[in-house]
Amino acid sequence: MKDPAKENEDLRAALGSDKDTAFTRLVVEHHAGMLRLARAFLREDEAEEVVQDAWIAAYNAIAQFEWRSSIRTWLFRIVINGAKGRLRGANRELTVDFSAVEPDALAGRFMADGHWSAPPENWRAHSPDELLQEQDLIDCLQKTLGLLPQSQRVVLELRDLQGLEFDDICNMLSLGASNVRVLLHRARVRIFNMVDRYQVTGEC
Amino acid sequence: MLKCREVVIYADHLLAGELSVVERAKLHLHLAICRHCRRYVRQLRVLIGALQRLGARASSDVAAAVMRAIHARAGTSRS
Repeated sequence: MKDPAKENEDLRAALGSDKDTAFTRLVVEHHAGMLRLARAFLREDEAEEVVQDAWIAAYNAIAQFEWRSSIRTWLFRIVINGAKGRLRGANRELTVDFSAVEPDALAGRFMADGHWSAPPENWRAHSPDELLQEQDLIDCLQKTLGLLPQSQRVVLELRDLQGLEFDDICNMLSLGASNVRVLLHRARVRIFNMVDRYQVTGEC
Repeated sequence: MLKCREVVIYADHLLAGELSVVERAKLHLHLAICRHCRRYVRQLRVLIGALQRLGARASSDVAAAVMRAIHARAGTSRS
């Protein structure tokens, strides 16, 4: 993960000397993630509008940005607020799906005494880069991310793909710390299960 | 003694750097004798590392389109 303080410092200097060039770099870096986040809340056309509006808002407000949080957190917060506004306008809302009774995706892989009944497969990849060498697996990861329940998808995006702090995520989603952790855990084990199955079957 | 079922929960907290010294000791005691859980924790790290790298960058065409839209609608002039 990049050091946010260093990221901020470099960006601040770059914006001072050539705003448009520096801002374009921000777009290249964050646009795809912002769009994935918005898609978790909204239809494709709405998501694209919300992200475009977020960029305009960010461009206009960046001079007032106080550089105390990371720029990444700030941008994703603008997207979340835009998406929430859109949902409110349409009388929809973020559905948070974690009933305490619903077992996580690993539940079936343990015996009643808490030991593994179906232990993890031995993955061929030993590093993140090795894991991402197979295009089929990348496609499968993207697909599985898209199929996660909305709130799990949002939390996984913000935490594991974007590396935001738990406090910021709780704050953005108006969720408590333990709920955010439950959602993250459920999302992770679903993806883990998918990769695990892929190791054996080669299928998504 | 931790159960394997509990280790998968502890693993998340381990990766977030949120385990106390005592909890960490309990976890490592379990991992020392359980290869399945060692594998789970190792592969979870690999997976999360891969997710971090998955966030693709936008192409320069896409970025240029965003910048055009900004200039078409932005309230402030270029500076």
